[in-house]
Amino acid sequence: MRAKVEETLRRIETHKGVIGTIVVNAEGIPIRTTLDNSTAVQYAGLLRHLSMKARSTVRDIDPQNDLTFLRIRSKKHEILVAPENEFLLVVIQNPSE
Amino acid sequence: MAEVNATLKRIQSQKGVQGAIIVSSEGIPIKNMLDNSSTVQYAGLIHQLVVKARSTIRDLDPKNDLMFLRVRSKKNQIMITPDKDYFLIIIQNPSD
Repeated sequence: MRAKVEETLRRIETHKGVIGTIVVNAEGIPIRTTLDNSTAVQYAGLLRHLSMKARSTVRDIDPQNDLTFLRIRSKKHEILVAPENEFLLVVIQNPSE
Repeated sequence: MAEVNATLKRIQSQKGVQGAIIVSSEGIPIKNMLDNSSTVQYAGLIHQLVVKARSTIRDLDPKNDLMFLRVRSKKNQIMITPDKDYFLIIIQNPSD
């Protein structure tokens, strides 16, 4: 199980265009990242809040619905957030041309 | 205005699109192709989310800005394109 997780993360980390990845735990703390610690902590905290807001937006519209994925595109890059149970997988990438 | 209508009509007729809303920067829906009560609800809630997403991006890098937001849920997906004075919301069944 552990090996499979490692393999998947590595595949994402080495994907073309990927700038960084962060696995965030329920407390908003990065438990695994390819970024430097302070950047990871900053992203983790802000994105945890944003994904919570996105999730409550979805649930307010339809209580039986739930957030499955969030994609935030900015001028400089794109942030992908995949929530799962209480964790978040965050990937920052250069947007595909 | 005619161009806006034509564009909205084109988007609305895309496969899977359930609704399209144009919302002002204050969160007031100004054009929509969805029933009224849903429109008001979507507009208000998504306005708050867009504000939060934008400030998240700017907190990370003050020179950066939000260009697009895609919220995928179990039942559908919501795509939001913010602009200077408005934002466009499209609700779509995810393509299989």
